[in-house]
Amino acid sequence: MSAILYYTASLKNELIKLKRTFAFWLTIISAVLFPILFIVAYIFERKTLVPLAGINPWEKFMVTQIANSTPFFIPMFIVLITSLIMQIEHKSLGIKHLFALPVPKWSIYFGKLSIVILAIIITYVYYYIAILLSGVLLGFVYPDLGFLNFPPEHWRYLKMLMTSFVASFGIIGIQFWLSFRFKNFVIPLGFGMFLAIIGIIVSQAPQLSIYFPYSFSVLSVSLGDKMPLIFGVSSVTIFSIMCFLITSAFGYYNIKTLNIK
Amino acid sequence: MNQLVVETKNLNFSYSKDKKDIEDLELKVPKGSIYGFLGPNGSGKSTTIRLILGLLKKNSGTVVLFGELFNGQSRLKVLNKVGALIENPSLYEHLNAIDNLKISANYRQNISSSRILEVLEIVNLTNARNKRIKEYSLGMKQRLGLAIALLSNPELIILDEPTNGLDPKGIIEMRTLIKDLNKRFGTTIFISSHLLSEIEKTCTHVGIIRNGKMLYQDTVASLKESKGTNIKVEIEVDNPIEALSALKDLKMEHISLLDGFIQIEVKNKNEITEVIDILRAESINIYQVSIKNNLEELFLSLTEN
Repeated sequence: MSAILYYTASLKNELIKLKRTFAFWLTIISAVLFPILFIVAYIFERKTLVPLAGINPWEKFMVTQIANSTPFFIPMFIVLITSLIMQIEHKSLGIKHLFALPVPKWSIYFGKLSIVILAIIITYVYYYIAILLSGVLLGFVYPDLGFLNFPPEHWRYLKMLMTSFVASFGIIGIQFWLSFRFKNFVIPLGFGMFLAIIGIIVSQAPQLSIYFPYSFSVLSVSLGDKMPLIFGVSSVTIFSIMCFLITSAFGYYNIKTLNIK
Repeated sequence: MNQLVVETKNLNFSYSKDKKDIEDLELKVPKGSIYGFLGPNGSGKSTTIRLILGLLKKNSGTVVLFGELFNGQSRLKVLNKVGALIENPSLYEHLNAIDNLKISANYRQNISSSRILEVLEIVNLTNARNKRIKEYSLGMKQRLGLAIALLSNPELIILDEPTNGLDPKGIIEMRTLIKDLNKRFGTTIFISSHLLSEIEKTCTHVGIIRNGKMLYQDTVASLKESKGTNIKVEIEVDNPIEALSALKDLKMEHISLLDGFIQIEVKNKNEITEVIDILRAESINIYQVSIKNNLEELFLSLTEN
């Protein structure tokens, strides 16, 4: 059987397994959390937020929201969603069953990893839709906020979200391997949360934290134009993708040769 | 000689450096047999099963399945012919039985949805097919685990303690099911258990393991014969002391009293009638006569010494 068939079978199964799980709902809850907070803030602070004539209100609404929420929130979200998705397997004692099936182990490891990445991308998509809808809703209820008078600059905000996503890629590789490797939920979750907090703190010293994957999400926003470039590409982007590739390859090799007790 | 479906040679494995968990294990499972893998808890049954399926890395030795050396190259081909239920079944509790079977069917590919319904029927779960697994009883979960193992019509089914947690009715059902599969489809079945009575009632072949070493391996019939031809009989009477002195005149060995029951060894079943005649001649009332299972003692003597 071809590699593609093994991989698609694995993807299909991972989607079935996500049915009715908290991991599935977490993608939606996480996506609407900040837009709801912003609606509330705009309602209460409406008088100070009415834009001057000719000013596009979307700019402030989008940039403040994306720049203040994603850098801190995304690493935490990745730690949580990765652990939750792997817990579905650990809770059902599934690994021993999967590895005794006539399917290559890589299709299971990378099929699951793909679903984790897909869940994160979907959360970004939901998040973007939720921000747009919240802006439109505010525009309908309070026309003076001006949301219906201007179009949002989609490309600019989508680029911000993409930068944030790529910067978080590195920790997906690490967290996924830890969550696959350790049945105990507390290990990947505790380790990940601890490093995510450390990442936020050490991002104050960019010359060092530029090598620390858990800081990349914050640095991708905080460094702005000061971001060091490698061949014209942001170094955080390069390091993040490298970290993902190395930890995924190492993680797979480790899992493949692991004794399943 | 019968073709072997599972054969291990000099199989060695340890979880830690200071203790050998499996030692020079030579397992021989003939094609078409129901092989009972018997041993006390912690004797290495599950470890052996995991070694056969490649879930654990052996320290040395070989595992041959269907005449083919089990290794990285042959893994997929060999596992294609195997269905396994390893200890507690791996089930997604938030899903129903159909979804759980669909997942295994997708992985294995080429399994029709009618086969899913078929295996549910075999294990008698058709009515509970849309119920979430978290609402299932332990016995139902065990049966669904078996259905998953049956899905691909495998040539070899490996069942690790399949009757664990089942009630007496469930145990009988499982036993019937195993025998039926073996008889109808010629499926080789490898069952591990710590219960001798289970193995004795179901299996054609037996392997006894203790501390990771194979102590005995042959057909169940040979095991029964190996203990000698004497039949142990237990008799309940109204007056055991009087009965004992009456029987002392007989030239039978090994007559004793245990918990108020007379224990006696006879050479054949006709002698049981003689014993009853003597007791009745002394007007001793007999309440029950039963033949004792000497296999149990053999198992204990094998595994405890």
